[in-house]
Amino acid sequence: MSENRSPVLLCTCGDTLSLDYELLNKELSQYEGVKSVTVHGTVCQREGLEAIKHLVQENDGRLVIAACTSQKIQMRIDNFLKEEGVDSSQVQYVNIREHSAWVHDDVGDATEKSLAMIKGAVRLASLSEPFLDETKEIASHVTVVGGGIAGIESALSLSNLGYHVTLLEKEDELGGHVKHLPVVAPTGKSGKEVLSGRLESIDRDDNIEVHKNTTVRFFDGEMGNFTVHFVDTDGTEKDLETSGIVLANGFSEFKPTAMEEYRYGRNPDVLTQFELSCMLSDGELHRPSDDEPVKEIIMVQCVGSRSEDYKRDCSKLCCTFAIDNALEVLKRHPEARVRIVYMDIRVPFENEMIYKESREKGVDYIRGRVSRVWEENGETHVKVYDSLLDKYLEFAPDLLVLSSAILPAEGLNELSETLGFDIEDDGHVKELYGKLRRLETRRRGVIAVGGVTRPQFVFEAVTDAQAGALVIHNELQEGQIEKLARGAVLNVEDCVGCSLCAQQCPRGVPLMIEETENPEDEDEKLEFKAAIDTLNCHACGVCQSLCPSAATQLNFLTNEQLWAQIEGTLEGAGPDNPITLCFHCEECAVSTMDIVGTRKMKYPANTRFIPVPCAGRVSIIDILKGFEHGASTVMIASCETDRCHMGGTGNEIAQAQIDVARDILSAIGWKGERVDMFRMYSAEPDRFITAIQEMVKRAKELGPTPVHQGTAGKWMEVSR
Amino acid sequence: MTEPAAAGREMAPKRRRMMDMIMVLGGLKEESAIPLSRVNEELELLKEQVAPLTEEIFAFPMKYFDEFLEAVEKASLLEGVSDRGILKEAIDNLEEAVEKGDIESLQGLLDLLRTRLDSLTKKPGQEDEGEEVDLKEVLAPLPALVDQISVIIGKYEENAAEDAKTAEQDLKDLQQGMEEGKDLLKEDPDEALARLQKLGTKTRYGNFLRTAAQVKRAKREERVDEERFDYLLRHNIMVELYRGVVYFVLTHMGSKTVVELADLTGIEADVLQRSIVSMIQRADIEMVGLDENAPVFARVFDTVPETTMVMKRTVQQLRAVSRSVEGKNRELIASSLQQLEESLERLQKLGQYDETELAEVLGQTREIADNATEGILTKSSDAEAEDLRLLVSAGLEAFARFRLKIALEKGPNLVEGTNVYGEKLDPKKYEQIMDSYLNNELERGTMLILIRDLGAMSAETLAEKTGIPQDRVFRHLLRMKRDELLTLAGEEHGYVLYDVPRTPTKAEVTVRTASDQAALLVTAKNEIETILQDLKPEDIGNLANSLETFSKARDKMEKIEIGGTVVAESLLDTVEDKVKSAVVMAYRTRAKIPSTRPKVTIEDLLDVDVPSVLEEYRSQMGYAPILGFGTVKWEQSKCLGCKSCEIACPEDAITLKPVIDVPSFFEFSDEALEKLPVNRGLFYRTVRGLASQKPTEKVVLNEDKPGFGTVEVDLWLCVACRTCVRRCPGPDDGALELELKWSLPEVVKQIKAGVL
Repeated sequence: MSENRSPVLLCTCGDTLSLDYELLNKELSQYEGVKSVTVHGTVCQREGLEAIKHLVQENDGRLVIAACTSQKIQMRIDNFLKEEGVDSSQVQYVNIREHSAWVHDDVGDATEKSLAMIKGAVRLASLSEPFLDETKEIASHVTVVGGGIAGIESALSLSNLGYHVTLLEKEDELGGHVKHLPVVAPTGKSGKEVLSGRLESIDRDDNIEVHKNTTVRFFDGEMGNFTVHFVDTDGTEKDLETSGIVLANGFSEFKPTAMEEYRYGRNPDVLTQFELSCMLSDGELHRPSDDEPVKEIIMVQCVGSRSEDYKRDCSKLCCTFAIDNALEVLKRHPEARVRIVYMDIRVPFENEMIYKESREKGVDYIRGRVSRVWEENGETHVKVYDSLLDKYLEFAPDLLVLSSAILPAEGLNELSETLGFDIEDDGHVKELYGKLRRLETRRRGVIAVGGVTRPQFVFEAVTDAQAGALVIHNELQEGQIEKLARGAVLNVEDCVGCSLCAQQCPRGVPLMIEETENPEDEDEKLEFKAAIDTLNCHACGVCQSLCPSAATQLNFLTNEQLWAQIEGTLEGAGPDNPITLCFHCEECAVSTMDIVGTRKMKYPANTRFIPVPCAGRVSIIDILKGFEHGASTVMIASCETDRCHMGGTGNEIAQAQIDVARDILSAIGWKGERVDMFRMYSAEPDRFITAIQEMVKRAKELGPTPVHQGTAGKWMEVSR
Repeated sequence: MTEPAAAGREMAPKRRRMMDMIMVLGGLKEESAIPLSRVNEELELLKEQVAPLTEEIFAFPMKYFDEFLEAVEKASLLEGVSDRGILKEAIDNLEEAVEKGDIESLQGLLDLLRTRLDSLTKKPGQEDEGEEVDLKEVLAPLPALVDQISVIIGKYEENAAEDAKTAEQDLKDLQQGMEEGKDLLKEDPDEALARLQKLGTKTRYGNFLRTAAQVKRAKREERVDEERFDYLLRHNIMVELYRGVVYFVLTHMGSKTVVELADLTGIEADVLQRSIVSMIQRADIEMVGLDENAPVFARVFDTVPETTMVMKRTVQQLRAVSRSVEGKNRELIASSLQQLEESLERLQKLGQYDETELAEVLGQTREIADNATEGILTKSSDAEAEDLRLLVSAGLEAFARFRLKIALEKGPNLVEGTNVYGEKLDPKKYEQIMDSYLNNELERGTMLILIRDLGAMSAETLAEKTGIPQDRVFRHLLRMKRDELLTLAGEEHGYVLYDVPRTPTKAEVTVRTASDQAALLVTAKNEIETILQDLKPEDIGNLANSLETFSKARDKMEKIEIGGTVVAESLLDTVEDKVKSAVVMAYRTRAKIPSTRPKVTIEDLLDVDVPSVLEEYRSQMGYAPILGFGTVKWEQSKCLGCKSCEIACPEDAITLKPVIDVPSFFEFSDEALEKLPVNRGLFYRTVRGLASQKPTEKVVLNEDKPGFGTVEVDLWLCVACRTCVRRCPGPDDGALELELKWSLPEVVKQIKAGVL
């Protein structure tokens, strides 16, 4: 395949960069893949942009820009070219400022490094293909599962954003738990008041279709094309086509029947906190056993919560709910006596106020645990161990109220099987990335809001729901997804059906489709083929790194492109000039490196960088290619553990490649230390400095590689 | 589970074949095939084979214990056994053995053990049993002595008051000096410091002297500037001086409350209060009692007068004694005790005093307490006396611990300062807490000592022995269990036994092992004899088990050494072969006659979950039958490491292990590489192209890595369904190949021969 030649545009950043532009110009002009070299003072300004436009137009869309970090200029250039109607998808960037001129003192060294990295980009560019905007029309319809406060709020928000919404609720009424709360802290309003306006809006809204008494069975398809299978009010099974899904299943309250010591389920006067809420909001406080008035209540906190057997963590809401109910009881019956048996009271946010109020109103707080509950002469008896007094106290309350744990909604596991979202250890839905990608799940087009991800207060669930609606809107773009189809492209012919991509994709995009003609025939192979929707792809390249048959490749960074770039970048690497090759992700790693550059921290110049969208794109072959072309050490810089921006696992895939490469290198007569992985965090630029210095040091100390010495591939002779 | 439609369903042919095989291997199927005559033949054969062995096997325990007894006597082994729990257990075991079988030497061993136990339970002072002490007589002088003590302490207090008066003048001088020093602070701080230092010498409070000297030096060496010096002078040094004054007062004028101190020194009470907290932490002063509600403080002296200590012990002892006496004696002790307790408190408030005057009277009092204790000990029955002795020593022990822990650490702080919630501890409550703490400690100490001496005990027994209510006993036990002072040691009549953690001596282990085995052997021998008289097919399992008991006992006995040599070593050696071959014969016959097993048809196995059956079978029989009837071959050069086989396998039989066979990369033919998916082939070629040496070892990874690994098949689990073979995406027909093996008879033969 003949390589295409690209023009190179060198930016001097207003003549401030200490690089030998003359030398760069001369060397590049002679370089095979370079069509022309242009030196410009300010690529980012109007004239510069005009120059770019002309260069791109004149060269079939190809251009290599060597300037400052692409994080700064790419967006600007892309926008400009888009306005001008020019395709920018083939423009390549080399950072000669933050990654070279600003971090190396020696002009000669910095120039040499810049030259090598530009050559690499030129090689990459020579193999690029244009890819154009793709449009996908999808139904502007979203399904909300769960009609509690979060579901209602997100349905309303989505309707405001112009979507048709189907709201599925399993009960015969909307409102979920909130409907039954007598008072919602810290507003002081009742749950019904909180809901009433919203319920009216839903009634009035033609875009929202509500199905009550329904259960979701399972899901099919992917973003833009989901099918929801559900059992409708009348008992018939129905299918619903939808483009996005909002999980607002809420939570379920733990029913402590298994904790026999509390006598729940055996003694009618033992209730859960939520059951008390229901009693208070539905009518008069009474003893369920004989309808007598209630004078004395004991509430027990942490029933099931903070317990290894039921729920390990704190349930967060129960303290506040217990206090809410206690205050409500005292408001109606000032003479009543309420005691709360607690381990420690945890009331977040301004709920602290109601805690203080309750103390003032005379709610009795007993630190300790209930040791026994029993019935005697028709009375409920409770023995409490007070750990502060080291005393056993005995009461005969009218009601024993258990603040039981908040558990994930029922059936989440089953739904996750067909919907492909991840589940946390505690059973709640796992969000993609706690800091930057909350509400998104592993599966594209599926978001989770409200109590389904963690116990949440009412106002938290409302905020969640509003934010979630915007996340969905961002994905679905009102039904017209227009996007540069930048991502993994699968060549089905080459796919052998090994399913490694489907197993490891952080977003669950590849689907394995069975193609066995006759599964009953035991002699026939069970054949599978992957299917990848490029518009759904986040373009991390994990599938490409793992694919044994090169069937799936990123359309902007094919294997050949990366290998050509490695070869170009490592030109001149050898025993006298030991080079450290660093693959870095374009998330945390590149921002760390840019900050190092901006702060003009220094590190050795015998280093070469190759950007990849995510560390997971780097395969073991890419690492080995680096050595083949003369690198002395190879490293990958990625996001910090559990901070992979591509859905959590790209950096771990990279780690696996590094680990295996290290072991194999050690086995075949190399030094395994020549390869390593480092995790970055842009707030700590020192980490990059430490890492790169370490690898440069190793390159120097470990000396020439077998490739340099000419012993590589000579294992036959050596072993004899 | 109770689906009736089993008949209507079809079993997959593979599963049917496999189940068929399970039945063959488990002997389930052969039942009908073996005629009864054949079974009897086998049994007769076994009897015949075992008969020449039994005599020697049966004789072996008796011979062994003869030699064992001899060795025990010779080495006086029992001298090293002092754990009564172990002794009692051993005696129980031997009694059982002697009762069931007639082994002379065991009776001898039993006698020895009983003697040893008796000697251990016997009290040291038991000889002068006849001489019963008349308690009334002993106690008679007590009230007079107690009065005398009270009077002497009164004198001490007077002396102390006089001393205090003398000290008052000094205190006034101190106060005046302090005022003058304060006035000077502004004009001439250096001079002020010098004056204050002189005052400090009078207080003899070390902390003040040190602080002052440090500040002065810092100033001289210019480490602190004027401003800072001024600050230190006004704050740190002045506070230390106040403390010095307090120290002076407490030293020379006796213990005081904060209010009294404030009156005397003219320092504001709240300033004093704050200063005092640090003094308690520094262990300069301590709280010694209460005056109304206010805590009384005294200086901590390096040594407490001997007489105070004696007084404490005596009070403790008399408390214990008073529980064991009745009537007039009890009243007498009670009233004296009350007086003594008051006196003790007064002594503690006094702190230091001239102990010579008190020594004699107190000595007499103590003698009375000792005699009274002794009297009760001799009078009471053995067990009771021992318990009382325990109680007394436990009390003293706990008391010592208690004092250290509370008096010096937290208590005073809680009364003095406030906790994190700003709450103050009521001194009365503090005393209550102390009381209950002391009481708890006492009870726990008693329980511990009892268990330590008498062996493991249940809560019920402990309650009985200590007289503490059982629920309290239980709470203590749980507490001590949590603190790891106690461990669980089995149960007795359904009650959990608690024991202190013990490390038995070598002799104790020997006795325990020998007696355990004696009981087991006698039982096993009787069982074998009964079974052999009329050997029935269903008894064959029990026969094998009983023979196994002999074999295991022999193995254990081989480890018993007395005086460095194995007891009856040659005997154990000669009997070894015989015991073991008898065991093998029994098992072999058991494998041949399956008549004890339930009748099962293949249809019954329709819903059997293979892995779980395997697990159950393995746990019951100790081995697992071969289930697989094929082997799965794996060809690495075709493997993509994709795990598809593992994911597809319905029986979890196939796994991708994190091991990379790197050496084999170098063996793949070019043809094989050509056929691989392009990147896989490239990977192998790149590795070979880089290698400077050929590896010899496989690479073992610490965890799974996608795309790499070695396939392993667990043939015990594989049901040869070929799913993995069909699913494998490797080139040609994939990396996996199933080879069916049908040499079942061979496998069955191996089982019959007892190999498996």
